[in-house]
Parts: sequence; structure tokens; C-alpha cells
Amino acid sequence: MPKLDIPNAEDAELVRAAQNGQMPPYEELVHRHRDKIYARAFSMLRNEEEALDISQEAWVKGWQRLKQFQHNSSFTTWMTRICINLCLDFLRKRQRQQTDSLDQMEEETGGVERRMEVEDYNPTEKMERSELRKEIDAAMEKLSYEHRTVLVLHEFERMEYKEIAKSMQCSIGTVMSRLFYARRRLAKILISLKKERQS
Amino acid sequence: MKQEDRLKIQAWLDGELAPQESARIADLIDRDLEARELANDLRAVKKALEIGENKAVLDDTREFYWSQVERQIEAEEPISDSVQPELATGTLGNVLRWLIPVGSLAAISALMLNFGAINNMPDPGDSIKGGGVSGPITTPPTEPSSGFSENPGTSMEEESPATTPEVGVFSFEGTQNGGNFASPEDPNSLPESIENPER
Repeated sequence: MPKLDIPNAEDAELVRAAQNGQMPPYEELVHRHRDKIYARAFSMLRNEEEALDISQEAWVKGWQRLKQFQHNSSFTTWMTRICINLCLDFLRKRQRQQTDSLDQMEEETGGVERRMEVEDYNPTEKMERSELRKEIDAAMEKLSYEHRTVLVLHEFERMEYKEIAKSMQCSIGTVMSRLFYARRRLAKILISLKKERQS
Repeated sequence: MKQEDRLKIQAWLDGELAPQESARIADLIDRDLEARELANDLRAVKKALEIGENKAVLDDTREFYWSQVERQIEAEEPISDSVQPELATGTLGNVLRWLIPVGSLAAISALMLNFGAINNMPDPGDSIKGGGVSGPITTPPTEPSSGFSENPGTSMEEESPATTPEVGVFSFEGTQNGGNFASPEDPNSLPESIENPER
């Protein structure tokens, strides 16, 4: 069996070697994708230290479960799912320790959605891409974890409603409601940021 | 407009509606101003998010990051290796998980008691008195007294010194020094299940 050229090998080759218990190929995979995994953890947790811990935990879990990886998706997709699940577990634990948030209460009553008026202009028009990214990032930070998570999973991870519902352990109806409210809230925040910028 | 229709407008934009429902919502958006404004509003947010995330970047070096992951993997690996899959899950697994250390403890306790019984064994003369065995120490073992069968509460150990006292002493010393049994008090000789019951 030819020796694996680790730096130049494809992910799938590295994964197969790591599945046979070889650590160096796995180290290479960690090196290649650690930024992506960390970025996903940070986008959900909004805390550098927690994101670092969770991203490392994801790599540990990845190693432990590597034999379960069937190559049905890309390795990074699989790893990202592990990371997302760890983030959700972490957020759920943290949420249980806190009192019910206003967001959750409003969501249950459905009152906020009804009170929100439709905006008739685009808050992000004529903005540079990098500027817009920063603006969205700032707005995302102001969202509750449930709304930020549902947006991240749907808009950035391209997950369908039913997948999100499974990951977040809630109904599809809750996902739809959270997504709707998250978008409306995000639009409001972007508008207020735009007004701040103009004033 | 009903909240249900608002959520369906969103689902329509996300491509999550069935064809028939999709046609109905498209029609609603065409003829209802509020529905149209909501659709435009949601579309604007969706479009803004399409630009992507502001990616967080790791500050740690590759070596440092990997060393932390590797350390966690090594710390957790012996545990996962020692747990046999069939023992790790199910009711049987739970029973065996406790039974193995408890059984080991019981076996060691029995051995210790056994050694203690031999150590505290009365003089052969006393044994003869207590057991009601008459005759000198040199009574051949091939002729057990009637006391054996008539007194089930009397153990073999109590009787054996009367017949072959040297055997008991020899056995005990043999196990202490050169036998297969190490001292149960020697932590180096304890089974893993005693040292770490979780294993």
C-alpha cells in the first residue's frame, strides 16, 4: 500500500487513513478545516472562548465517531453538523439556567409578529459587501440564540425546515415562526443601524 | 392577513411549499398589497444574508490548537477502548457495569476472609476440642470423624488443621510469597475494575 502524501492528499483519502486509526492524517484534516468549524461555533455562540472549546470538542468527537462517517456527505459538512449539535447542546444547557427570555414569551403568544409593521424599503441597499457583512454580523449578535441559530442553519448551512426542526428538537411550525420572527427582527435592527449610520 | 399566511409567504420564498399551496400564495402576493410588501421585506433580508457571514478566525497556531485536541483525544481514548460495545448499552450493560467491580470486590473480600480464617485458625489441639475430633494431631485425613457430616455448620477449614495442619500453613505462605495470588492490599495488583470502577 503506497504511503499517503498527507499534505497533498484529498480529504476523503485522509479520512480513510484516519478511520484506520492513523492520527497524522486527522491532524491534517483539523488543520485544513479548523477555521471553518471555529467560525460556525462562533457564529452560534458569539463568544470566542466558548467557540474555541466547542470547536476543539467537535474535533475530539469527530475522531471518536470517525468510523461512523460513511462518506455520504463531505467531511466538512459532517464535522460542521457535529459542531452545530454541540453548540445546540451547549446553548440549551445555558438557556435552562436562565429565566425565560422575552423573545420566547413573545414567540409563544405570537404577538410580536402581528405588531410588526411591514417595512417598505431595503435597509442594506448601496452598501459595500464587506460593510454589509459587518452590519449583518452586528445585527446577528443582537438576536436571541434561538433566532440567530435558526437563521444560521437556514441561510448559511442551507438546511431545510425539517432538518432544522430535528437539530433544534422542535416542530417545523416553531422553526417557521422563529425564522419569520428572526428575519423581521433582523430587518428592524438593520434599519436602525442604517439610521445610526446616516445620522 | 392571518399569521398562517405570513408564515406561508416566508415558506414560499424559501421554496418549502407544496406546488398547490405555492400557487395559492403566489396568487395572494399578486392581489394583496400587504402580502406583497411582506414578501419584498422578507426577500430583502434573505438577499442581504446571501452575501454571507463575517467569518471569525482562530488566533491559535496550528501546533497549539492540535496539541489541545490531541490531548483531549488521548485523555478520552482509554475509556472508550476499555468499554466493550455490548457492555456499554442496554439493561444488561448496566447490570454488568456494576456486577464486574462488585463481583471483583466480593472475590477479593472472600479471599481476604479466607486468609484471615487461616491466620486465626486455632491450634490443632483446640480444633480437636471444638470439632469433637478425638485422637492425636496425626489422625489420618482418610478417616473423617462423624462430626463432619453431622455438623454442616462446621467448615472444612476448621477441620483441616486437625487432619493436615501443615497444609494450611503451607498454602497461606505459598500464596503470600510465591503463589498466584498477590496481596489484596497491594494497589499495583488490583484489577482495573477496582482501581477505576467506571471502567
